[in-house]
Amino acid sequence: MMSLAVGFALWEAAGQLEVSRALPPFTAVVEAIFDVWGREQFQDAMLSSLKSVAIGFPLAVAGGLILGLLMGRFRVIEWMFEIYVNVFLSMPLVALVPVIVLIFGIDRSSIIAVILIYTFFVVVVNTFTAVRAVDPTLVEMGRAFGANEFQRLTRIVLPAALPLTLVGIRIAAGRAIKGVIIAEQIIGLVGLGGLVQRYGGAFLVEDLYAVILFIGLVGMLSMESVRVGEARLLPWLKAQELSAT
Amino acid sequence: MIKVDKVSKYFQKRDGTDFAALSNVEFPIRDGEFLSILGPSGCGKTTLLKIIEGLVKPSEGAILINDQPVKGPGPDRAMVFQTFVLLPWADVIGNIAFGLELRGVGRKAAREVASTQLEKVGLTGFEHHYPHELSGGMQQRVGLARALAVNPEILLMDEPFGALDAQTRQLMQEDLLNIWQEEQKTVVFVTHSMDEAVYLSDRVVIMDTHPGRVEEIVDVPMPRPRDPDVRRTPEFSELTSHMWDKLRDILKRDQATAAAEAAKKGA
Repeated sequence: MMSLAVGFALWEAAGQLEVSRALPPFTAVVEAIFDVWGREQFQDAMLSSLKSVAIGFPLAVAGGLILGLLMGRFRVIEWMFEIYVNVFLSMPLVALVPVIVLIFGIDRSSIIAVILIYTFFVVVVNTFTAVRAVDPTLVEMGRAFGANEFQRLTRIVLPAALPLTLVGIRIAAGRAIKGVIIAEQIIGLVGLGGLVQRYGGAFLVEDLYAVILFIGLVGMLSMESVRVGEARLLPWLKAQELSAT
Repeated sequence: MIKVDKVSKYFQKRDGTDFAALSNVEFPIRDGEFLSILGPSGCGKTTLLKIIEGLVKPSEGAILINDQPVKGPGPDRAMVFQTFVLLPWADVIGNIAFGLELRGVGRKAAREVASTQLEKVGLTGFEHHYPHELSGGMQQRVGLARALAVNPEILLMDEPFGALDAQTRQLMQEDLLNIWQEEQKTVVFVTHSMDEAVYLSDRVVIMDTHPGRVEEIVDVPMPRPRDPDVRRTPEFSELTSHMWDKLRDILKRDQATAAAEAAKKGA
């Protein structure tokens, strides 16, 4: 909170000093927020972006969980997919966006496809790592008490892999926002990304910042809500970390 | 009755050759007895225990329980682990009930049994604590309760007090004997402490190492129930001294063989 207050104060100062035409005073931006966030144009854009994320993100998470689990459980599947996962994780995905737009056309399916590539592989690698990192003595104990394959998976591996898997989902939430905005910026006409292009191009600087701040806020909130989910689902983990100090 | 019937276990080393962890181990285990397996680190005693439990298959030989060979883990055996191996996301009651629930016992019934076991190991009041909130001794009590909850005939304990401090260890030994006295189960107890082996057991199997073999089986004819002060009797000292002599010989022989092999490789 303190840090934000200082940041805003500096921003205001820089704006008043007219350091750059592209940096309006913080107060001007706040005015613009009240204006822009109420506009129908903005709200339509927001809903459009939200719709794309609402379709793409759950799809990516579900798919990523399944593949991550399979890769963690079966070496064969790990070997098959490992290289693709690594390639997509290490390359700058923004370079693929124009290709995706060429394939899927200038409509929502492109945007969803971009969200998918931004989020899917992150979930895969975190889930896979989580499953592999499960303490084998826990599984052995399960075997000793007569657990069959299914029981070992559902009652030991899955709960043990949950913390790291949720971290993957939390990171993916942030990347989903990234993906949707980048896709919309490149396509240009729809959603919040489209607004960024439009206001930026027209040099409507205060309005542009109003949109950017909103995007930042949404990104933060989506990651925070996953973090809250983590705390709810893993009460024992937080306390364990605390008691380890 | 249980028979360890000429059990051998080989593992493959990195260079492809076989490494014998256990070689022709053979001894009977009487019903209701408390038997310790005592030996230096690396003598294969944990491997042997896992073979009895059914987690590991022997390369040769078998474990016979009432003349039936062991094919895998079963309801007649339960294990207590050196590192406790509790489920961190479950509370004490949930952990104790775990083995029962795996067997299909309903949640309510399982929790009832778990409650009884919890009292037996002295954890009343800690039902809803999580493992990380408990001391090592308490965590191992949970491990013991979990094993007792499935009502096995045979309790297999793998250096269960090895991770505990000396005082807790002694208290746990005394508590274990009290519980055993009531339960009348057969216990196979792996340890590398002579004091522990003599205090707890009816018989002690001393194991040689590289490969693991039976060196000697020692009777501990001290009366039951065992008073904690029995540790101060001359009879106790005699037995532990004898065991230490044996173990020291085993260790010295092992060192000599290792040195000879190293010299051969160097030459």
